[in-house]
Amino acid sequence: MKNNKILVLVVILVYVFLCGPLLIIGATAFNSGNIMSFPPKGFSFRWFAMVFQSETFMTTLGISFQVAVLATLIALIIGIPAAYALSRKNYRGKNIVQNIFISPIIVPGVVLGFAFFRFLIIKLQFGVFLSLLIGHVIIVIPYIIRVIGSSLDNLDFSIEEAAVSLGATKLRAFFLIVLPNITSGVIAAFMLAFINSFNNVPASLFLTGPGVSTLPISMMSYVEYNYDPAISALSVILMAMTVLIMFIIEKTLGLSHFTK
Amino acid sequence: MALIHLKDICVSYDGKSDILKKLNLNIEKGQFVSLLGPSGCGKTTTLRVIAGFIDTRAGEFIFNGSDYTRLAVHKRNFGLVFQSYALFPHLTVFDNVAFGLRMRKTSKEEIKESVEGILEVVDLSAYSKRYPKELSGGQRQRVALARALVIQPDLLLLDEPLSNLDAKLRLKMRVEIKKIQQKMGITTLFVTHDQEECFSVSDMVAVMNKGVVEQYDSPEKIYSRPKTEFVARFIGFENFFSLKKQENGIFLTDSGISIHIDEEETYSDREEVFTGTIRPENIELLPSDSNQTDNVIQGSIEVRTFVGKDYQYSVDTEVGAMIVNSSKERMYHQGDKVKLHLPSNKVLILKSKED
Amino acid sequence: MKAKSIYLLLIPGLIVVVFFLFVPILMIIVPTLKGDQGITLSRYIIFFKDAYYMSILMRTVRIGIITTLICILLGVPVSYYVAKSSPKIKGLLLAAAIFPQLTDSVVRSFAWMTILGRNGIVNSLLVSAHLFTEPHMFLYTESAIIVGSVYLFLPLMIISMVGVMDSIEDDLVEAAESLGANKVVAFFKIIFPLSVPGMIVGSVLVFTGTFTAYTTPQLLGGNKNTVLATLLYQKAMTLSDWTQASVLSMVMILITLAVMFSINKVASRFYVRGV
Ligand SMILES: Nc1ncnc2c1ncn2[C@@H]1O[C@H](COP(=O)(O)OP(=O)(O)OP(=O)(O)O)[C@@H](O)[C@H]1O
Ligand SMILES: [Mg+2]
Repeated sequence: MKNNKILVLVVILVYVFLCGPLLIIGATAFNSGNIMSFPPKGFSFRWFAMVFQSETFMTTLGISFQVAVLATLIALIIGIPAAYALSRKNYRGKNIVQNIFISPIIVPGVVLGFAFFRFLIIKLQFGVFLSLLIGHVIIVIPYIIRVIGSSLDNLDFSIEEAAVSLGATKLRAFFLIVLPNITSGVIAAFMLAFINSFNNVPASLFLTGPGVSTLPISMMSYVEYNYDPAISALSVILMAMTVLIMFIIEKTLGLSHFTK
Repeated sequence: MALIHLKDICVSYDGKSDILKKLNLNIEKGQFVSLLGPSGCGKTTTLRVIAGFIDTRAGEFIFNGSDYTRLAVHKRNFGLVFQSYALFPHLTVFDNVAFGLRMRKTSKEEIKESVEGILEVVDLSAYSKRYPKELSGGQRQRVALARALVIQPDLLLLDEPLSNLDAKLRLKMRVEIKKIQQKMGITTLFVTHDQEECFSVSDMVAVMNKGVVEQYDSPEKIYSRPKTEFVARFIGFENFFSLKKQENGIFLTDSGISIHIDEEETYSDREEVFTGTIRPENIELLPSDSNQTDNVIQGSIEVRTFVGKDYQYSVDTEVGAMIVNSSKERMYHQGDKVKLHLPSNKVLILKSKED
Repeated sequence: MKAKSIYLLLIPGLIVVVFFLFVPILMIIVPTLKGDQGITLSRYIIFFKDAYYMSILMRTVRIGIITTLICILLGVPVSYYVAKSSPKIKGLLLAAAIFPQLTDSVVRSFAWMTILGRNGIVNSLLVSAHLFTEPHMFLYTESAIIVGSVYLFLPLMIISMVGVMDSIEDDLVEAAESLGANKVVAFFKIIFPLSVPGMIVGSVLVFTGTFTAYTTPQLLGGNKNTVLATLLYQKAMTLSDWTQASVLSMVMILITLAVMFSINKVASRFYVRGV
């Protein structure tokens, strides 16, 4: 069955479809000409140089990075205790609480963005950066709750009880015993939350303003008016980051987490 | 006064039905006590109440004269050994054992001394730098024991600590545990559902059923003199029949045969109907032409099975089906008419359920 | 474990989510229902009677459905192959499916701009093969959005189905073949029905994802092919028509939830039947 010729052909075509476009982008990034062309004409790093010299890309890259890291850290600080509470014994309302934490994933991205815009920027008059940060905290919370929740589900909580029976308070038992045994879950959650914040377009779209924008948003406006390999070069840089993050997730959580 | 005093403990997980129903148990200082009972009867629950992990719905737990019912787990100073051992995976053997002492802010030198001392006792000195996953099951078990003992606990609680080991190691470890317990004189509560394991090491055994202690006695007493039908069944009695009291020492079966019973102990004077019991191997199986007349029930052989040393017969009698073990010397066949002699010193009278 | 202290741990997170998610959403939704006296649905009635809005809604739904169907069609065989591969190959194929998912959607849409664009690869190939005399406009069409969306969400479909495919025993297919079914029949009679639970999960993700996507329709669809998400952005930010944007928000939320609930209902029926 598995080696049926038609099946193999379909699989190959699908994977060409999935990987091809990104490979093409990769190739065009090294163009030496002024316009996009494939196969690339000549070989150069000039478009990479252009990206690094572009003030827009560099500042928005910095902002994206800051927002992703800060939002993820904040979400971890409020998400870990919640995930911990959700992983212990069943109690009434547990399902509802779980759904509340997962709900940001269910709301369409543009609706989130619009709601954040109306509430944070218009109503509360928060600054653009702060609004962006708060929005991203909400966006990444579901990833934190899910990933850390699943690593807590796999933890044998009798080690925590053992620690308490040996004289540790709940808090010390958590930091000395529970946390060290879910570090891989925490790292993976960090990575997933980071990349999802970093790549977010629909919500960030509404939360940019004078001087504050994220990299994906500035890339979007760039491609609407320019058609040159600069974006390809930037894409290669971002893909390299994705590879690194995937590598870390594989080493901590295992990529098979995605199939659950 | 006993060291441990559990009084009318009620526990409910769902707030509706009680898992422990007014459980009472007293343990003297220095004793090795076992909780024995079928799966789901509440042994672990009882242990966890004592450890402090479960809030009771009612009842109190007095330890050494003070009320421990609501005392936080980490203030109890009890050593716990879990069925899964619950070793800290990210810490070495040494750090696992040292954990409790560190929580007590013991000095570095003292920690080193105590930990090395206890590792010596459990014969693991060479393994102190290893991580739990680098140890065998038996070694992990001993680390768990050392970790619980090093804090010099006021009470040692063990929840089926041997169930993950193979038969040979179980035997060795239970002797080991008993030895250490005696040497250190630690009061110990041991949970198991293995009868033999429990009888071999305990000073006292509490047989539990559906959330209550049915009988609390020495192992010898429980083996020879079960008090309730449940306990009797649990330790291998298979024949139960109702007996009506006539006068002291004389009872009537439903079929009107009078049975003499040597034992004085009957549970209530008010009561008229009791349950009698006898072990299969204590019944004397006789041919129908035997001249034995006292304490004899008539019956016919239904099934014969071979159980290694003996033959086991299921006999259809006037008081119901009876299981009899009988030596190979004489073999009976299906349909043979036989007499069952119930020796008056082997028939026991059981407490009725409501008691 | 004492229940009370556990509730305390949930509180910071709950406050943040309720205050910064539920409150803002209620704040945009409630005014759309407010009439002169009490509650009114008039804004929604106007929306659903407007031919322009309806055409956009229909386009969005159409793109979502077609994308989902294509993803199912391609996802079933591919995920089956991935699940049944040796661990090494499986890891590789999974990684190749996860990688695009973690890549920025702008990058992914941009890739298709370079492929489908006027000076893109498809056009230069076709022109140099003399099939076309001059470049054809593939970009900024509904089809371009669909291609981009399939590209965006097929990995998600594959990944959500691999787990289910894992649990289909090989001997089931062999049994069917031994009973005389040819391979194609065996595939459709055995694997396809057994993979329904994974397919349902995947379809919800793909449909709702496509239905609410912004980047792909914006970059590949151009101005002519507005969908709900791009319309919402225009209304809110370009035209500052916040009421209409709020109505759109509510419509998008309701349709998303309705799709999730109804598909899950269907799914639970499948589970009851033991499929
Ligand atoms: N956390 C829990 N929530 C709800 N019910 C529970 C919980 N823990 C145990 N129970 C129930 O309480 C009863 C007693 O359980 P307990 O674990 O004390 O049994 P046990 O005697 O230790 O059994 P075993 O020999 O199988 O370990 C069982 O019916 C069990 O289903
Ligand atoms: Mg138990």
